[in-house]
Amino acid sequence: MSEREAKFPALLAELRPHCERLIAQYERKRSALLPIVHLFQEREGYVSHEAMRAVAAMLDLTPAEVESTVSFYTLFFRRPIGKYLIQVCRGLSCSINGAPEVMARCRERLGVGHLGTTADGLFSYEEVECLAACDRATCAQVNLEFVYDLTPAAVDAMLDDLRAGTATVRPLVQTDPPGAIWSIRQDEQVATGTKALGSRGVTNPNNAGGVGDAAGLIMLDRIVNKTVSFHEATRERAVRDSRAVRDVVEEEEAQAHAGH
Amino acid sequence: MPVTKVLTDGIGEVDLRDLAVYRARGGYRQWERAVRELQPADVLAAAETSGLRGRGGAGFPTGRKWSFLPTDKHVRYLVCNCDEAEPGTFKDHMLLEEAPHLVLEGILLGAYGIACHHAFIYIRGEFKRGYEIFVRALEEARQAGLVGSNVFGSGFDIEVTAHRGAGAYICGEETGLLNSLEGKRGEPRLKPPFPAIEGLYGAPTVVNNVETLAYLVPILEKGANWFASVGTERSKGYKIVSVSGHVQKPGNYEIALGTTVREIIEIAGGLRPGRRLMAVQPGGGSSACIFEEHLDLPYDYESMAKAGSMLGSGAFVVFDDTTDFVAAAYNMVRFFAHESCGQCTPCREGGHWIETVLARLVRGEGIEGDDAMMLRVAGTITGLNLCALGDSIEPFLKSVLVRFPDAFKARIPSAAPASAVAS
Amino acid sequence: MADNAVNVTLTIDGVPVTVPKGTLLVEAAKTVKQEIPVYCYHPKLGPAGLCRVCLVDIEGMPKLQIACNTPAADGMVVHTRNDKVDAGRAMILELLLVNHPLDCPICDKGGECDLQDYAMAYGRGSSDLVDPKTRKPKGVDLGPTIVLDEERCVVCQRCVRFDDIIADERQLVLKDRGVRDIIATSTGDPYRHNFTGNVTELCPVGALTSKTYRFKSRPWDLQRTQTTCTQCAVGCQMFSDVRYGVPLRTMSVEHDAISDGWLCDRGRYNIGFYDSAERIVQPLYRRNGTFVQIGWDDAFTLWGKALREALRARGPEAVGAIGGGRLTNEEAYLLQHLTRAVGSANLDWRAGLARQATPGAKGGTLAALDRAQAIVTIGEPLRERAPVLWLRILKAVRRGARLIAAATPAEAAAQCAGLAPIALVWDGVDPALGAAYDGAFAGFAEVATFIASEQGNARGAEAMGMLPAFGPGYAAVAPGRGTRAMLEDARAGRLRVLSILGANPAAYAPNAAAEALDALEFTVVSELFMTETAARATLVLPARGPLEKSGTTLNLTGDLLPLHASLQAPEGTLADLEMLIGLAQQLDVELPSAEDLERAVIAHAAKLPTGFGLGDARFDDGPSVAPPPHVHRTIFDGAGTAAHDPRLTSLRALEVGV
Repeated sequence: MSEREAKFPALLAELRPHCERLIAQYERKRSALLPIVHLFQEREGYVSHEAMRAVAAMLDLTPAEVESTVSFYTLFFRRPIGKYLIQVCRGLSCSINGAPEVMARCRERLGVGHLGTTADGLFSYEEVECLAACDRATCAQVNLEFVYDLTPAAVDAMLDDLRAGTATVRPLVQTDPPGAIWSIRQDEQVATGTKALGSRGVTNPNNAGGVGDAAGLIMLDRIVNKTVSFHEATRERAVRDSRAVRDVVEEEEAQAHAGH
Repeated sequence: MPVTKVLTDGIGEVDLRDLAVYRARGGYRQWERAVRELQPADVLAAAETSGLRGRGGAGFPTGRKWSFLPTDKHVRYLVCNCDEAEPGTFKDHMLLEEAPHLVLEGILLGAYGIACHHAFIYIRGEFKRGYEIFVRALEEARQAGLVGSNVFGSGFDIEVTAHRGAGAYICGEETGLLNSLEGKRGEPRLKPPFPAIEGLYGAPTVVNNVETLAYLVPILEKGANWFASVGTERSKGYKIVSVSGHVQKPGNYEIALGTTVREIIEIAGGLRPGRRLMAVQPGGGSSACIFEEHLDLPYDYESMAKAGSMLGSGAFVVFDDTTDFVAAAYNMVRFFAHESCGQCTPCREGGHWIETVLARLVRGEGIEGDDAMMLRVAGTITGLNLCALGDSIEPFLKSVLVRFPDAFKARIPSAAPASAVAS
Repeated sequence: MADNAVNVTLTIDGVPVTVPKGTLLVEAAKTVKQEIPVYCYHPKLGPAGLCRVCLVDIEGMPKLQIACNTPAADGMVVHTRNDKVDAGRAMILELLLVNHPLDCPICDKGGECDLQDYAMAYGRGSSDLVDPKTRKPKGVDLGPTIVLDEERCVVCQRCVRFDDIIADERQLVLKDRGVRDIIATSTGDPYRHNFTGNVTELCPVGALTSKTYRFKSRPWDLQRTQTTCTQCAVGCQMFSDVRYGVPLRTMSVEHDAISDGWLCDRGRYNIGFYDSAERIVQPLYRRNGTFVQIGWDDAFTLWGKALREALRARGPEAVGAIGGGRLTNEEAYLLQHLTRAVGSANLDWRAGLARQATPGAKGGTLAALDRAQAIVTIGEPLRERAPVLWLRILKAVRRGARLIAAATPAEAAAQCAGLAPIALVWDGVDPALGAAYDGAFAGFAEVATFIASEQGNARGAEAMGMLPAFGPGYAAVAPGRGTRAMLEDARAGRLRVLSILGANPAAYAPNAAAEALDALEFTVVSELFMTETAARATLVLPARGPLEKSGTTLNLTGDLLPLHASLQAPEGTLADLEMLIGLAQQLDVELPSAEDLERAVIAHAAKLPTGFGLGDARFDDGPSVAPPPHVHRTIFDGAGTAAHDPRLTSLRALEVGV
């Protein structure tokens, strides 16, 4: 159990009164979903699995319903992200006013692409749709605080300030170390491939029947080995494809930016 | 015609976030007058007489929208749409951050106008700062007895809840917004039923844009006829235009409707020296471009529609001759594909397909027939979608593709004629 | 309500049509035999407006409209085919195929796929697509029953809506958005409940597939037989699809009156046991403590001899029979006929917890359940006991009915005050409880009662007279001994020969039952597998399963439903009917002719059982004894066989969690 997981019950107890106040603002409980998820994300840095389950219990929903809703919104992070989230506007007005140069400098300085997190876990980087500050192109947000009139030189200064800790923007909470990929664009199943059928030896509870129960494992064994005969080729393809998707996604993003 | 100051009055000069400052300039006086002296029907009548049309994009007459509410249902809601995300639009963002009390007073008047007791404002997730400013203003107003039960001793109860989104353009679509406000995926709903009949929590609901509601304040103050006396025949009053792109002084400018396109460009400082105007996108990402020959058209709902475009949200993006229109088209279509909720086939698949083709064109890997395919697909899906997002893919793409065909042809490796590159 | 009575008249493709106001165009078009293609729309799920393929042209409307969400209106002129409509539909199909993998040659759905069919009927025949398709994971393991191919998914959300609206499980949802939309469960959770298989049928393409059927067959190679599911008392209508003698899958039948078009996973997937290697395929006779294989002639001789000797030596009280709940009506009728013909009234179908299967005078129909304003459930959860009945209850709840599971009968009655009609659904286990509810609701005007018993043909067995106190058609007779009493008699040495056909009493109270069976002189058990009871038998007769025989069955509301054999039974097995005919010859008992038997079954099944209510004393057979935890009653009482289908291993775990 990670430190964050260990602390989760205490966090839940602490936030519960706040959640109840949020729920009371609405005629129906479920309306409080977005505000409550925001609340947990602020405290954990991302929307953890535990948080989604807790929210489901609070709002009389299934965990699947909560996850479905959370996955719809780009500002909910289902994976840990960096302490500074830099979101550069790629809207049309910014794009014809220097955004491509600003984005190129960010990528170069951070050494990551769109939706990437730096290896030190300090920065996550994203190119986002119009931020409604087109008169101050190129605009961006750092931890949702607006930054206006960005130029490559201003990017340098901004990143230096953030790294040196001299910027006014506060870092995000980081309770788990971020991985290289964090966006909703890469669903767990796609990114990790753990859901692919027939990967032998995978005892992921998602697989075949189980929640770790013996029946599930027996079932898994039977599927993999003999009783339910999947074509060998198909099985291999499933594994391969689920890995390939991640590559395709990344390639698409890269292509998109090569164009701009 | 000069820039006027109605909603923008005081912005950038005084701190309108301060309740005392706002009240000293006459703030909340219309709210007080409404609940003390007027009937909801009076507010509705003012909205109707003023000719105020929705400032969020669709331009639907506000009074008429309110009048669709069934009279026999008493639980009803007003939702202020502050999910401003239409590319090029940045007026609500400004109003929210600079004049939160004006926004709130507009909401209160709107709520009174439809006789509802619980109003919401749905604030775009990215506007975290704006949300905090508004919530502070709301709390101040609550402390001052402007919001809550029995305001000004009138017996009228009104609750206002600020709700922050989490990153989804489609939540600006009114039924997507209602789903999001109900804690669901922001997917637009199948219509009918329309929100006026079955909206939030199944109750009759009006969704109005921030700017629309804010105009109720000066309309009540100066009279509906004052508002109706400005503008053109079917486009009354004022409008904040968000001018950006290739102009020297981009910004929000409040103008009387009917000001010409040329005047708006001039108000925003004109083009950079030595540059030639190629196109203007006059009404947000969903609008088609207009061109040089349209410069003297009045900027109003009818004229823009007549020119094959629309006034939309008042996002006014100017393009000069440095613009790469293939990249611009790609940018626009990518936006709609990225923001498609994915529910309905034409928008989900069509948008993504065209985006893929445009990305290839941008890379210079076009093939013969790409242009025809894009026009065919974008054109055929228009009108087949569940909501307006999918219908928004075609206008900009088609307008630049038809106007600048050579720019697209130039991206086909083998077939690029030397003369085409210059355009 | 007055509005509903009003009809509207419109024109569809030039044909005037009159339909009730509110009818959707997609339904109205069916009246002129005009097909409108749909993916997301489903009559049971309602309109969703997602796929946009059901486009029609309505005069006076500039844009094409979707037929699934447009109600018919007076004077409307609708064209379901013209150039405009065809162009719109062709575009939708072209778009659906843009990212579809077109792996039809290896797709289970190939040949019965709406995407194939509509692409053929309305598609353009070619595509301008030159760019690569979006790749998504294939073969995603959703849970014990279902595999998802995300590339094939057309995001119609039928499965999502089924899980929400019909099954009330909300486990399957849409994740992400736009072109990356995928169907998924909550991360880490398997898709697992009692109705998952239905999504494979709802899926208009090959995205959701059953693990048991994946890559097994082309649909046109299947031999299809319509029959009745016997695994619980609902009697769902289903197709049994067989290839080379192997039941590859079962599919639901659109039968609104019984199953409403659904099947539960137990009924759908519990078919793997038929070709299990562990099936008994030859009569077994216990000699010196071990079973030896014998021929059928010897088996009949031994059985007949044992009975004749017991009758001669000790009289009719020394013989008895248990069975019927898992037999056909015909078999149950013959079993009681034979037993009563030799003078014994020791017969009973009850071998488990249930005590009563026929609700009596106030017994309701499934249609009555649809009208109920309050539904009171008594006893075990119905979701597992009578799954598809539970779906019908959920449907009533969606319509506004109150679902009540109260602590006491009085409390339930209080909650029902002022509501009518009321439905009482009892599990038939505790007669005192049943009687208490009967009493508590005696004063209510409109009460319909239901008993969701644990065996598929429990009510049929009762109607055919397999009860100690009732003859065929619930005729009152001089009572004999019931199951519990027979086992007592066995222990006391009063009962000498017991014939058990399709029942497993030793699974319950194993020690007491085992002791009783061991004390018998001669025990005959007809079974498919070596159950706890068969293991104690003197003679084990290899029986046939429900898909291997024809006949009729009676469901919990008294509907007489047909069984049609779809499988060739293994060599060496006989249907219980054939066994009883063989025994009759040994005993010189004259059996009714086939025609007389059919007439008797129909007549007795149609008898309205009056004169008793829930928990009537005549059904008393002493207190029910809970089985040990390893006995998965609801699945295994159905056919007594699921233990022998490895594919159901994980489904069994589902039941334990109940």
